[in-house]
Amino acid sequence: MSTVIKAEARLQAGGEITPSRRAGVIYRNDDEIAFLRDIKNELNPVLYSGAGATKTAFDIVDDDHGMRWVVLEDGNFEDLVSSVYTVGNAIGANDGADNLLAAVFELYFTGTVEDNTYRSGLRTYWIYRYDRKSFYPFVPTGDEEGERDRPTEAQLGHDLRKHGLLVERSLTEWMGLWGIPF
Amino acid sequence: MTSTTGTRKFHKDRGLVSRMYFTMFMLGFLYAIFALFLFSVGMPIYFVVGIVGIMVLVQYFMSDRLILASTGAKQVSESEAPELHKMIKLLADRYEMPMPKVAIIDTPIPNAFATGRNPKNALVAVTTGIQSRLNDRELQAVIGHELAHVANRDMRVLAIANFLVTLTSFLMTMLFWNMLFGGMGDRRNNNGGGVMMVYLVTLAVYFIGQLLVLALTRYREYGADHTGAEISGDPGGLADALEKISGTVANIPDKDLRKLQTANAFLIIPAALKGEGSMHLFSTHPPVQERVKRLRELEQRMKYGLS
Repeated sequence: MSTVIKAEARLQAGGEITPSRRAGVIYRNDDEIAFLRDIKNELNPVLYSGAGATKTAFDIVDDDHGMRWVVLEDGNFEDLVSSVYTVGNAIGANDGADNLLAAVFELYFTGTVEDNTYRSGLRTYWIYRYDRKSFYPFVPTGDEEGERDRPTEAQLGHDLRKHGLLVERSLTEWMGLWGIPF
Repeated sequence: MTSTTGTRKFHKDRGLVSRMYFTMFMLGFLYAIFALFLFSVGMPIYFVVGIVGIMVLVQYFMSDRLILASTGAKQVSESEAPELHKMIKLLADRYEMPMPKVAIIDTPIPNAFATGRNPKNALVAVTTGIQSRLNDRELQAVIGHELAHVANRDMRVLAIANFLVTLTSFLMTMLFWNMLFGGMGDRRNNNGGGVMMVYLVTLAVYFIGQLLVLALTRYREYGADHTGAEISGDPGGLADALEKISGTVANIPDKDLRKLQTANAFLIIPAALKGEGSMHLFSTHPPVQERVKRLRELEQRMKYGLS
């Protein structure tokens, strides 16, 4: 996860990326798992107590696909990334490892892509898939499945790899998440 | 010795060839057992075999026309695409096969394929997407790979292999409706349990047959990589092309990640099979990384004469 901070910083220095305040962790809920059943109360101490607690604000949201999100908000990007990491770890360590789908960061992209068109402040997501342990960019152009800006994704994927992020090699695994609730 | 130019002889990939024959043998074995089984339960099998046989034959003899019709490929003459014709002619000469028909498909998705039951009836098709993305060397390597399929008679091998799978899927559908509405005139074995048993055996044969055919397809794929590289003398060209194509935006999927998760939950694969290994079992092509790795090794061998 620290590679996210590094890649983001370098891309921000180059004027290509600005972070938003939001990120999320998506998982398949299972009330059999105690930690997930009571996620709100379980996450409170994880994010708020102890030395070095990030005190990142969070909310629990259900999406239209029957999945549950921990939506996190923090103006400090490093804290935001650290909280995403912490939430994923906490779920994983409390019997929820198989339930974790992805961690998602929201960032804005500005630049020219392969087809020679300019994007200014375009909303993008960086998805981390827990099953493949790799990142890839996701740039939806609508809420319908399949609506995505592939040239920008390819460009961003290339740049992220160049700046040290472990980008998913197999493009066919770059599955989208349409209708992200933040 | 190492400075001799011209074509080098490579030792055959013995492991590959033996795995291929083993798969074919297993498939034939499965066929035989299944036929015996159907006989023993008294299925009216000739009718089904006849229909499927005709279907497979039509597919086999008409494949070039079927593919032209179903993919929107347009056959092009020498004057319409002189460069492409020249390139294919050169390769066909090296394979000592007659000039195949040439077709172009107008789509940005990079792809190429060859079909034809023998070299005399071959057709090679490339998409405009692959033409624009690859340089001449890479395109030549890709077409070399496709012609290798023709030279290796892969169409014939797969037509025979597919026969069983098509047959069983046909039987499955028949049995399914038979179970729902009961009987098709033949009431000799008309106890529900019997039909159910036949259905389950057919299902199992279908599943195993499908896996074997897919394995065979993957071995033929490696085989075509190998033959194509021998003919072109340039395994690196195909490796470059594969890396380029697999890295293009057209491969970014339409699918939602959440659908993948729910689909997985319903698959009837034992948990032990999950992960990388099982994905290979179900794909027609070997993973690109593995193909590229083997081609690069071959490239080294050809360059330095190592074995």
